[in-house]
Amino acid sequence: MKGKLESSERERLVEEGKNLKESLVTLEEDLVKLKDELQHVAQSIPNMTHPDVPVGGEDSSAIRKEVGCPREFNFPIKDHLQLGKDLDLIDFDSAAEVSGSKFFYLKNEAVLLEMALLNWTLSQVMKKGYTPLTTPEIVRSSIVEKCGFQPRGDNTQVYSIDGTDQCLIGTAEIPLGGIHMDSILLESALPLKYIAFSHCFRTEAGAAGAATKGLYRVHQFSKAEMFVICRPEDSEFFHHELIQIEEDLFTSLGLHFKTLDMATADLGAPAYRKFDIEAWMPGFGRFGEISSASNCTDYQSRRLGIRYRPSEPLQTGPKKGKANLPATKFVHTLNATACAVPRMMVCLLENYQQEDGSVVIPEPLRPFMGGIELIKPKLK
Amino acid sequence: MSLHKLRLAAAVPVTISTFSSRLFLKPFPNTLTLGLFSRRLQPRKPLLVRAFSASAAVQDIPANQTTVSSVARRPQWKASIDFKWIRDNKEAVEINIKNRNSNADLDAVLELYENMVNLQKEVERLREERNNVAKKMKGKLEPSERDRLVEEGKYLKESLVSLEEDLVKLKDELQHVAQSIPNMTHPDVPVGGEDSSAIRKEVGCPREFNFPIKDHLQLGKDLDLIDFDSAAEVSGSKFFYLKNEAVLLEMALLNWTLSQVMKKGYTPLTTPEIVRSSIVEKCGFQPRGDNTQVYSIDGTDQCLIGTAEIPLGGIHMDSILLESALPLKYIAFSHCFRTEAGAAGAATKGLYRVHQFSKAEMFVICRPEDSEFFHHELIQIEEDLFTSLGLHFKTLDMATADLGAPAYRKFDIEAWMPGFGRFGEISSASNCTDYQSRRLGIRYRPSEPLQTGPNKGKANLPATKFVHTLNATACAVPRMMVCLLENYQQEDGSVVIPEPLRPFMGGIELIKPKLK
Repeated sequence: MKGKLESSERERLVEEGKNLKESLVTLEEDLVKLKDELQHVAQSIPNMTHPDVPVGGEDSSAIRKEVGCPREFNFPIKDHLQLGKDLDLIDFDSAAEVSGSKFFYLKNEAVLLEMALLNWTLSQVMKKGYTPLTTPEIVRSSIVEKCGFQPRGDNTQVYSIDGTDQCLIGTAEIPLGGIHMDSILLESALPLKYIAFSHCFRTEAGAAGAATKGLYRVHQFSKAEMFVICRPEDSEFFHHELIQIEEDLFTSLGLHFKTLDMATADLGAPAYRKFDIEAWMPGFGRFGEISSASNCTDYQSRRLGIRYRPSEPLQTGPKKGKANLPATKFVHTLNATACAVPRMMVCLLENYQQEDGSVVIPEPLRPFMGGIELIKPKLK
Repeated sequence: MSLHKLRLAAAVPVTISTFSSRLFLKPFPNTLTLGLFSRRLQPRKPLLVRAFSASAAVQDIPANQTTVSSVARRPQWKASIDFKWIRDNKEAVEINIKNRNSNADLDAVLELYENMVNLQKEVERLREERNNVAKKMKGKLEPSERDRLVEEGKYLKESLVSLEEDLVKLKDELQHVAQSIPNMTHPDVPVGGEDSSAIRKEVGCPREFNFPIKDHLQLGKDLDLIDFDSAAEVSGSKFFYLKNEAVLLEMALLNWTLSQVMKKGYTPLTTPEIVRSSIVEKCGFQPRGDNTQVYSIDGTDQCLIGTAEIPLGGIHMDSILLESALPLKYIAFSHCFRTEAGAAGAATKGLYRVHQFSKAEMFVICRPEDSEFFHHELIQIEEDLFTSLGLHFKTLDMATADLGAPAYRKFDIEAWMPGFGRFGEISSASNCTDYQSRRLGIRYRPSEPLQTGPNKGKANLPATKFVHTLNATACAVPRMMVCLLENYQQEDGSVVIPEPLRPFMGGIELIKPKLK
C-alpha cells in the first residue's frame, strides 16, 4: 500500500488489510491460549530417567551400599520418644496445646545437639568447597512451582501465607533454586556449590499411621541442604560427590545405613536419578529415610530460567548466538540433604542409648557441644 | 397473682419472651437507664495493639495508636481480670490509661462490670427461687397448688434461660473491652512519649574513624556477606540471604549467647514457629488487625511467631506450678517472622528491619515478689553480653507511652550504629507482671506456710496465685550484625571479629575482602 495505486485497488487492499488484521487478532488470541494450555499439560511431564535406575515401585529400589550393622542391645531399649521424655529433651505435649500435633520443643542437651549437628555438618561440607548460606523461609509461590512442587493442590505439603502469594519453604532447595533464576551464568562461574541451613515447614497432609511417630514426621524442622549448579556433562559426577559426602557424614557419626538407588515410581517429577539413605532406627525396628540426593538435570533450570554461556571454543562452531557469542544452555541442578535434624536425632538417641538411660554423644560432635560426652538422666 | 409472679413482673419490665430478643447491651432495668449503652456501640473502640518491642525505638506509628479494624475477632478465651481491683482503683487505672495513650475505655468496663454483677445476682436469685419451687413440689400438695407451682416453675425456667444468655453475652462484652486495659506501670517509669525515656546506663563511646566508613549494606556487598537482591526476586523486599562468614557469624553469635546465658541458669529451648492465633492474643499481640505484625497461615487458625516469647508463654499455659518449681528461666532460640506493615522510611534500611530473623530470647516465670529482681537480672545479662562484644550502647527506661500493653516496665538497649549515624534498638527487657499470666492461665501454688493463714483454697491447700512473666532479647541477629559490621570495619575493607566470638567461628579473626 506504499506504492502508487488505483483508488479501487487501494480500497481492495484496505479491505484485505482489515480482514487480515481481524483474523490475526483472533488467531493470536487462540495461539496464546493454546500455548498456555500446552504449558499447563506439558509441565507435568516428568524428567527423563537415568538408564541404570531400576524400573518399578518402592520394592524395586536397588541397594548401592550398606555401611555398619544393627547394634546388638543386651537390655530392653527405648524409642526416641521415651528417651526424650526420660532425659527431658523433647516436649510434644506443650507444643500440641500451643501449636497442634507434630510440633515440638527441644530442651537442654537436645538444643546443644541440634546446634552441634548443624555446626559440624557445615564445617565438614565447607571443606569440600561448598559456600555456606542462610535463606528466606517465605518465598513467592511461583518459585515453589518452578522447583517442581505443587503449592495449592489438595494434600499439598506447602503452607501458604494468608492474603499473599507467598508460601513457607519445605526445603532450602527452593530459595536456593531461586537465587540464580532468570540468569545467564558464565561457564567459568560453574560449578556453584552451596550448603544452606534453614528451617523447613511441611503440612504432611495425607501422612498417617505409624510412620508419623515422634520426630520422624513433624511440621517444622531444621535442615542443612546442599545444592549444586553445574554444566550438563558434570551432573553425574556431582551426584556421586553429593552421595559420597552424605555417606561420609553418616559413617563418621557411626550410623548403620544403606544407600538406595530409588526406582522409577519413587522418583518424583524433577529427579533424573535419586539416591536415598535409610538409617537403622532401633526404636522403630526398621530403617528410616534420613537423606535424599537428586540429580534434577535441566528440569528445574528450564522452569527457573537458569542458563550458562559456554566459554569461547578454540574454533568457530556451528552454534552461535547473538553477536557471535556461543548460544546459552540450561544448567543442571542437584540437591542433597546434608543433615535433617529430627531424623538424625532419632538415630542418635536410639542407637547411642545405654542401659542406665544415658545417651552417648558421637565423638565428632563433642567439640561442637562444649565437650559434652554423655546426656545423663537428670536428678529429680 | 401470687407474690412470686408479682415479683417477677416487677423485675422484668416487658414480657419474658422479649427480653432475650433485646440487644444484649441494654441494661438491666432496675440499675441503669436504657439509653446509656447506645453510646458504646458506635464506633467500636479499637483494641490496644502492642508494638513488637524490637521495633519500638524507631517506629513511625506510636504503638498504642495503631488502629485495629472494627471487625477484629472477639477473643475466644477469657483473661482472669481482677475487676474488683480495677473498680477499687479506678482513678489510678484511668491515669495509667492516659499516660500510656491507650484507647481502653475504663468507663465502659466499669459500667459493664456493674451490670454484670447485678445480672449475676438476679440470675442467682431466680435459681434459688426455682430450687424453692422444686422443693415445694416434692411435698404433698393440692392439685391447684401444684398447677400453680408448675406454671411458676416454667416461668422461672424461661426467665433463667434468657437471663443466662444475656449474662454470657455481657461477660463476653466485658472481656472484650476489659482485655484492652493495659498493665499498670512501675512508679519509677517516666511519664510521657519517646523523648521522656530515661537513660539508666551508658557504656563505651562512639569509635572514631580516620577513614570514610561504609554502612552494613555496603560492607555486606563488598565482602559478599549479604544478598538482598536475589531475595527480593525470590521472596520480596526485606528478605535476605546470608553468605560465607556472615553465616558463621550468625551461628557464633547464637552459640556464644546460648553458652553465656546458660551459665546463669537458663534452660535452652527451641520452639515451634507456627502457633495457634489464640496464644498470640494471650501474650498481648493482635494477630488480625489492620497493620498487624503477624503473618497468618491460610486455611488455619495458626500464625507465625514474631518472637519466641509467644511459644514460651504457651508452654505453661492453663497450669498450676509448684512454688518450688519457680523461677523457671528459659533461653530460647527461634526464627521470627514480622510483616512490618506500616513501617516505612529510613528506619527500614538493610538488616535493620526485615521480615525474618534469628533471635535468642530469655523468658522468666517467677513469683510476684521476685519479678523486679529478675528484671534487673535480665538487663544485667544483656548489658554484660553487649559489653563483652565491645559495643557502645545506652540502656533506657522506656516512658509510659512507649510501653505497650503488657509491660509494667521496659528497658530497651540502643547501640551505636555508625553507618546510620545514630543509635538503634538491639534489645528489650519487659516485666509483664501478671498481664500475660492472667491471659495464659499460669498460676502457682504457694508452699504451705508454717501457720494456717486466711487464704486457703480447696482441701486446705493455699489458694493459687498468678505468676509474673518477663521476657528479654539476648541476641537479635540482624541488629547485632549491623553493629558488628559497622563498628568493626577497617580501612582496608575487612571486618574484625570480636574476641569472644572467635572460638565459635573456628578461630576466624577477620573477615577479609575476597579475591575476584
